[in-house]
Amino acid sequence: MKILAVDDSRIVRRLVGAAAAVIGAECGEAGEGGEALRLLEADPEGYSLVCLDWNMPGMDGISFLRALRADPRWKTLPVLMLTAVADRESVLAAIKAGATAYMPKPFNETDLQAKMLDCLGLGFD
Amino acid sequence: MFDFSAAAAHLPLLLQYIAEVCCIHLGPEKRYLVEARLGTVIGETGVKDIPAFIAIARADTSGRLRDKIIDAMTTNETLWFRDQRPWDSFERHLFPEYAAELASGRRNRIRVLCAACSTGQEPYSFAMLLDEAASSGRLPGLAPAAFEILAFDISPAALLLASNGRYNQIEMGRGLDAKWKTRYFKETTPGVWQLDEKIRRMVTFRRRNLQDELAGLGQFDLVMCRNVLIYFKDEFKRDLLERLGAIIPTGGLLLLGGSEPLFTHQHLFSQEMIGTTIFYKRKPSTPLP
Repeated sequence: MKILAVDDSRIVRRLVGAAAAVIGAECGEAGEGGEALRLLEADPEGYSLVCLDWNMPGMDGISFLRALRADPRWKTLPVLMLTAVADRESVLAAIKAGATAYMPKPFNETDLQAKMLDCLGLGFD
Repeated sequence: MFDFSAAAAHLPLLLQYIAEVCCIHLGPEKRYLVEARLGTVIGETGVKDIPAFIAIARADTSGRLRDKIIDAMTTNETLWFRDQRPWDSFERHLFPEYAAELASGRRNRIRVLCAACSTGQEPYSFAMLLDEAASSGRLPGLAPAAFEILAFDISPAALLLASNGRYNQIEMGRGLDAKWKTRYFKETTPGVWQLDEKIRRMVTFRRRNLQDELAGLGQFDLVMCRNVLIYFKDEFKRDLLERLGAIIPTGGLLLLGGSEPLFTHQHLFSQEMIGTTIFYKRKPSTPLP
């Protein structure tokens, strides 16, 4: 299982990587949306979840999300928005653009792990 | 984020729904807690108010949304070796007693249950303590293989993390001394610590709700149900203690949290000070008249 961390902050990418490791996943990294699309293109079925920042230089989170959902290969790929923008309108805009879930920044690793598991539909029965 | 200030009038409805699915009874003063934990879950559904949220939760026959609510509301902070005293009592008093009983053949198995185990810190603390005591050679007869440690929780996400036995830096920092960290964990990825496989295998995790019938799990010599009762109403507490009484044989022990003294249920349990910790010892069942 592989998770893609798309964030211009190296610290956030590292946090996502650690949370991925705890739940037993590997983590790929991209600093903005365009780079993330290239990584997905290179391995279209390789990722189970994208953790996505909103504001990034280059292609931002919402533009990336729209591009992702416009491609039938990634219509159902879960996307978790990690964002400091968490007012109701922005959240609704993200959900409308195809985000599966969101997590307001700042967050801690433990909450992030739980959210990732939730997005992946993983649990223990 | 869902705007709770505009939804205050509907808060009682939400609290009632939480009580129904999670069995946790919260008063309106706990709005901050509900807000912090359910804010994003409600926000993600895109609903405009609480009644609409409850309606879609009820209509979701897959149970996914219900599980999300349970995960968000019930996943609690947990620590390694929480409150030092019970662990001292295990090490100095209970383990020697179990060791003697196992060595003499009076018993061949000790069953331990951790109720509401969250991400596994409590059962794993017990397993590490046991393994360390056994390998020290101080207590001949104390064989970890003779112990069966079962732990349950309601949250599927918590259980998955528990069974992985991998913890982040924040979790490792909560109550775990360097001694345990060095002996039983390896940093496999920067900031991620993997519990020793031997310890991981000592604990079995199951998904159970405290509302469920517990009798199917069998009988236990020691039941830890710590810092759990504080969340529940008296009526539910009484019922839970009766059901715990049913899975502890005569002489078996119940351990509650340090701030949860038990003044009721004297027909089932007697207070017993073991070392510096109060345990509740199962009394013999009264024969039916």
